[in-house]
Amino acid sequence: MLLIKCPHCGERAETEFSYGGEAGIQRPANPDALNDAEWADYLFNRKNPRGMHAELWNHAQGCRRWFRVERDTVSYLISDSREL
Amino acid sequence: MSEALITAKVLHDCGHINLRGRRNDAAFVAAVESVCATSLPQALTTAASGDLRIYWLGPDEWSLVTTAEKTAALLAALNGATAGMHVAVNDLSAAFVTLALGGSKVRELLAKGCTIDLHPAAFASGACAHTGLAKAGVLLALQHVEFRLIVRRSFADYLLQWLHRSGAEYGIEFV
Repeated sequence: MLLIKCPHCGERAETEFSYGGEAGIQRPANPDALNDAEWADYLFNRKNPRGMHAELWNHAQGCRRWFRVERDTVSYLISDSREL
Repeated sequence: MSEALITAKVLHDCGHINLRGRRNDAAFVAAVESVCATSLPQALTTAASGDLRIYWLGPDEWSLVTTAEKTAALLAALNGATAGMHVAVNDLSAAFVTLALGGSKVRELLAKGCTIDLHPAAFASGACAHTGLAKAGVLLALQHVEFRLIVRRSFADYLLQWLHRSGAEYGIEFV
Protein backbone atom coordinates (compact mmCIF):
# COMPACT_ATOMS: atom_id res chain seq x y z
CA MET A 1 0.00 0.00 0.00
CA LEU A 2 1.41 3.37 -1.03
CA LEU A 3 0.86 6.49 1.02
CA ILE A 4 0.41 9.22 -1.58
CA LYS A 5 0.56 12.86 -0.63
CA CYS A 6 -2.28 14.81 -2.20
CA PRO A 7 -1.25 18.48 -2.41
CA HIS A 8 -4.68 19.45 -1.03
CA CYS A 9 -5.58 16.68 1.45
CA GLY A 10 -2.22 15.41 2.70
CA GLU A 11 -1.13 11.78 2.88
CA ARG A 12 -3.83 9.27 2.01
CA ALA A 13 -3.97 5.58 1.19
CA GLU A 14 -3.36 4.46 -2.37
CA THR A 15 -6.92 3.07 -2.59
CA GLU A 16 -8.29 6.64 -2.65
CA PHE A 17 -6.42 7.47 -5.87
CA SER A 18 -6.53 6.56 -9.51
CA TYR A 19 -3.47 6.56 -11.74
CA GLY A 20 -3.35 8.77 -14.81
CA GLY A 21 -0.14 7.76 -16.57
CA GLU A 22 2.89 9.82 -17.49
CA ALA A 23 2.79 13.52 -16.63
CA GLY A 24 3.82 16.41 -18.83
CA ILE A 25 2.54 15.18 -22.21
CA GLN A 26 1.71 18.19 -24.34
CA ARG A 27 -0.83 18.02 -27.13
CA PRO A 28 0.94 19.13 -30.33
CA ALA A 29 0.17 22.75 -31.14
CA ASN A 30 -0.43 21.95 -34.78
CA PRO A 31 -1.61 18.32 -35.18
CA ASP A 32 -2.11 18.69 -38.95
CA ALA A 33 1.62 19.18 -39.40
CA LEU A 34 2.52 15.84 -37.78
CA ASN A 35 3.33 12.69 -39.71
CA ASP A 36 1.91 9.33 -38.59
CA ALA A 37 4.95 8.40 -36.57
CA GLU A 38 4.95 11.67 -34.63
CA TRP A 39 1.19 11.42 -34.00
CA ALA A 40 1.55 7.81 -32.81
CA ASP A 41 4.38 8.89 -30.55
CA TYR A 42 2.15 11.54 -28.96
CA LEU A 43 -0.78 9.14 -28.57
CA PHE A 44 0.83 5.89 -27.53
CA ASN A 45 4.53 5.95 -26.73
CA ARG A 46 5.33 6.47 -23.07
CA LYS A 47 8.46 6.37 -20.94
CA ASN A 48 8.86 3.28 -18.82
CA PRO A 49 11.85 4.19 -16.70
CA ARG A 50 13.60 2.22 -14.03
CA GLY A 51 13.83 4.99 -11.44
CA MET A 52 12.20 8.37 -11.11
CA HIS A 53 8.99 8.81 -13.09
CA ALA A 54 6.74 11.88 -13.34
CA GLU A 55 3.14 10.73 -13.25
CA LEU A 56 -0.41 11.98 -12.87
CA TRP A 57 -2.69 10.87 -10.06
CA ASN A 58 -6.29 11.77 -9.28
CA HIS A 59 -7.54 11.89 -5.70
CA ALA A 60 -10.73 10.10 -6.71
CA GLN A 61 -12.20 9.51 -3.24
CA GLY A 62 -11.02 12.82 -1.82
CA CYS A 63 -10.88 16.26 -3.42
CA ARG A 64 -11.11 14.75 -6.95
CA ARG A 65 -8.22 16.87 -8.25
CA TRP A 66 -5.44 15.80 -10.61
CA PHE A 67 -1.89 16.38 -9.45
CA ARG A 68 1.66 15.49 -10.39
CA VAL A 69 3.82 13.00 -8.50
CA GLU A 70 7.50 12.10 -8.81
CA ARG A 71 7.76 8.41 -7.96
CA ASP A 72 10.66 5.98 -8.06
CA THR A 73 9.46 2.88 -9.90
CA VAL A 74 12.00 0.68 -8.11
CA SER A 75 11.70 1.79 -4.48
CA TYR A 76 8.19 3.33 -4.82
CA LEU A 77 9.57 6.37 -2.98
CA ILE A 78 7.45 9.43 -3.70
CA SER A 79 9.81 12.38 -3.61
CA ASP A 80 7.47 15.15 -4.74
CA SER A 81 3.80 15.86 -5.29
CA ARG A 82 2.40 19.15 -6.46
CA GLU A 83 -0.59 20.83 -8.07
CA LEU A 84 -0.69 20.89 -11.84
CA MET B 1 -29.38 -4.90 27.04
CA SER B 2 -26.49 -2.70 28.09
CA GLU B 3 -26.26 0.88 26.96
CA ALA B 4 -25.37 1.28 23.28
CA LEU B 5 -21.76 2.36 22.74
CA ILE B 6 -22.69 3.82 19.37
CA THR B 7 -25.85 5.51 18.17
CA ALA B 8 -26.64 6.19 14.53
CA LYS B 9 -29.35 8.41 13.17
CA VAL B 10 -30.41 9.21 9.63
CA LEU B 11 -31.01 12.95 9.41
CA HIS B 12 -33.93 13.43 7.03
CA ASP B 13 -34.19 17.18 7.41
CA CYS B 14 -31.13 18.16 5.36
CA GLY B 15 -30.55 20.17 2.22
CA HIS B 16 -27.24 20.05 0.35
CA ILE B 17 -25.87 22.82 -1.84
CA ASN B 18 -22.66 22.33 -3.78
CA LEU B 19 -20.69 25.53 -4.23
CA ARG B 20 -17.76 26.02 -6.59
CA GLY B 21 -15.73 29.16 -7.05
CA ARG B 22 -12.21 30.51 -6.88
CA ARG B 23 -10.81 30.94 -3.40
CA ASN B 24 -8.54 33.73 -4.65
CA ASP B 25 -11.52 35.68 -6.02
CA ALA B 26 -12.09 38.15 -3.17
CA ALA B 27 -15.50 39.24 -4.45
CA PHE B 28 -16.72 35.63 -4.55
CA VAL B 29 -15.46 34.86 -1.03
CA ALA B 30 -16.97 38.08 0.36
CA ALA B 31 -20.33 37.41 -1.31
CA VAL B 32 -20.57 33.87 0.05
CA GLU B 33 -19.38 34.84 3.51
CA SER B 34 -21.96 37.62 3.77
CA VAL B 35 -24.77 35.21 2.81
CA CYS B 36 -23.55 32.46 5.13
CA ALA B 37 -22.52 34.70 8.03
CA THR B 38 -19.39 32.61 8.49
CA SER B 39 -16.05 32.25 6.76
CA LEU B 40 -15.46 29.72 3.99
CA PRO B 41 -13.54 26.90 5.67
CA GLN B 42 -9.93 26.16 4.75
CA ALA B 43 -8.70 22.73 3.70
CA LEU B 44 -10.01 19.75 5.68
CA THR B 45 -12.17 21.83 8.03
CA THR B 46 -15.79 22.85 8.50
CA ALA B 47 -17.54 26.05 9.47
CA ALA B 48 -20.91 26.40 11.18
CA SER B 49 -23.43 29.20 11.55
CA GLY B 50 -26.81 28.43 13.07
CA ASP B 51 -28.41 25.60 11.07
CA LEU B 52 -25.79 25.89 8.34
CA ARG B 53 -22.65 23.80 8.09
CA ILE B 54 -20.05 24.32 5.40
CA TYR B 55 -17.70 21.46 4.52
CA TRP B 56 -14.49 21.88 2.54
CA LEU B 57 -14.46 19.46 -0.40
CA GLY B 58 -11.56 20.73 -2.48
CA PRO B 59 -9.53 23.85 -3.26
CA ASP B 60 -12.48 25.40 -5.13
CA GLU B 61 -15.42 23.39 -3.83
CA TRP B 62 -17.59 23.38 -0.70
CA SER B 63 -20.72 21.62 0.45
CA LEU B 64 -23.32 23.68 2.32
CA VAL B 65 -25.74 21.69 4.46
CA THR B 66 -28.74 23.26 6.11
CA THR B 67 -32.31 22.27 6.94
CA ALA B 68 -34.55 21.19 4.07
CA GLU B 69 -36.82 24.15 4.74
CA LYS B 70 -34.04 26.76 4.42
CA THR B 71 -32.35 25.26 1.36
CA ALA B 72 -34.33 27.08 -1.32
CA ALA B 73 -33.81 30.46 0.36
CA LEU B 74 -30.07 29.83 0.77
CA LEU B 75 -29.80 28.76 -2.87
CA ALA B 76 -31.58 31.92 -4.00
CA ALA B 77 -29.41 34.12 -1.74
CA LEU B 78 -26.18 32.53 -3.04
CA ASN B 79 -27.30 32.85 -6.65
CA GLY B 80 -28.21 36.48 -6.05
CA ALA B 81 -24.97 37.38 -4.28
CA THR B 82 -22.75 35.66 -6.86
CA ALA B 83 -24.65 36.73 -9.98
CA GLY B 84 -22.26 37.34 -12.88
CA MET B 85 -19.32 35.66 -11.14
CA HIS B 86 -17.47 32.55 -12.28
CA VAL B 87 -19.23 30.16 -9.87
CA ALA B 88 -21.46 27.11 -9.76
CA VAL B 89 -24.22 26.80 -7.17
CA ASN B 90 -26.23 23.59 -7.32
CA ASP B 91 -28.91 22.05 -5.13
CA LEU B 92 -27.84 18.43 -4.65
CA SER B 93 -30.21 17.67 -1.76
CA ALA B 94 -31.69 14.61 -3.45
CA ALA B 95 -28.25 13.10 -4.03
CA PHE B 96 -27.14 12.61 -0.44
CA VAL B 97 -28.08 10.91 2.81
CA THR B 98 -26.75 12.39 6.05
CA LEU B 99 -26.04 10.30 9.13
CA ALA B 100 -25.18 11.41 12.66
CA LEU B 101 -22.99 9.00 14.61
CA GLY B 102 -22.18 9.33 18.28
CA GLY B 103 -20.95 7.27 21.20
CA SER B 104 -17.75 6.22 22.88
CA LYS B 105 -16.77 3.59 20.29
CA VAL B 106 -17.61 5.45 17.09
CA ARG B 107 -13.97 6.06 16.14
CA GLU B 108 -13.23 2.35 16.49
CA LEU B 109 -16.17 1.47 14.27
CA LEU B 110 -15.20 3.95 11.55
CA ALA B 111 -11.58 2.82 11.70
CA LYS B 112 -12.67 -0.65 10.58
CA GLY B 113 -13.48 0.65 7.12
CA CYS B 114 -11.53 3.86 6.77
CA THR B 115 -7.85 4.46 6.05
CA ILE B 116 -7.51 7.97 7.50
CA ASP B 117 -6.18 8.53 11.01
CA LEU B 118 -9.18 8.94 13.33
CA HIS B 119 -7.20 9.42 16.55
CA PRO B 120 -8.59 12.45 18.45
CA ALA B 121 -5.24 14.21 18.00
CA ALA B 122 -5.42 13.79 14.22
CA PHE B 123 -9.15 14.15 13.64
CA ALA B 124 -10.54 16.71 16.07
CA SER B 125 -13.74 18.73 16.24
CA GLY B 126 -14.12 20.84 13.12
CA ALA B 127 -12.24 18.39 10.91
CA CYS B 128 -13.70 17.01 7.72
CA ALA B 129 -12.39 14.63 5.09
CA HIS B 130 -13.73 13.15 1.92
CA THR B 131 -12.51 9.59 1.98
CA GLY B 132 -13.53 5.97 1.61
CA LEU B 133 -15.53 4.06 4.19
CA ALA B 134 -15.93 0.36 3.45
CA LYS B 135 -15.13 1.24 -0.19
CA ALA B 136 -17.95 3.81 -0.41
CA GLY B 137 -16.98 7.43 -0.94
CA VAL B 138 -18.10 9.47 2.07
CA LEU B 139 -17.71 12.91 3.55
CA LEU B 140 -16.73 12.44 7.17
CA ALA B 141 -16.87 15.36 9.58
CA LEU B 142 -16.70 15.86 13.33
CA GLN B 143 -18.51 18.55 15.28
CA HIS B 144 -17.72 18.34 19.01
CA VAL B 145 -18.37 14.63 19.70
CA GLU B 146 -20.76 13.90 16.87
CA PHE B 147 -19.63 12.49 13.54
CA ARG B 148 -21.51 13.38 10.39
CA LEU B 149 -21.40 10.97 7.52
CA ILE B 150 -22.63 12.21 4.16
CA VAL B 151 -22.94 9.55 1.50
CA ARG B 152 -24.45 9.32 -1.95
CA ARG B 153 -28.02 8.10 -1.75
CA SER B 154 -27.30 5.04 -3.90
CA PHE B 155 -24.66 3.91 -1.37
CA ALA B 156 -26.75 4.65 1.73
CA ASP B 157 -28.50 1.29 1.99
CA TYR B 158 -25.18 -0.54 1.62
CA LEU B 159 -23.46 1.70 4.17
CA LEU B 160 -26.28 1.33 6.70
CA GLN B 161 -26.01 -2.45 6.39
CA TRP B 162 -22.25 -2.20 6.85
CA LEU B 163 -22.72 -0.01 9.96
CA HIS B 164 -25.33 -2.43 11.28
CA ARG B 165 -23.02 -5.43 10.96
CA SER B 166 -19.73 -3.75 11.85
CA GLY B 167 -21.32 -1.97 14.80
CA ALA B 168 -22.99 -5.08 16.20
CA GLU B 169 -20.12 -5.76 18.63
CA TYR B 170 -20.59 -2.25 20.10
CA GLY B 171 -24.36 -2.66 20.32
CA ILE B 172 -24.97 0.00 17.68
CA GLU B 173 -28.42 1.50 18.05
CA PHE B 174 -30.29 3.14 15.16
CA VAL B 175 -32.43 5.92 16.57
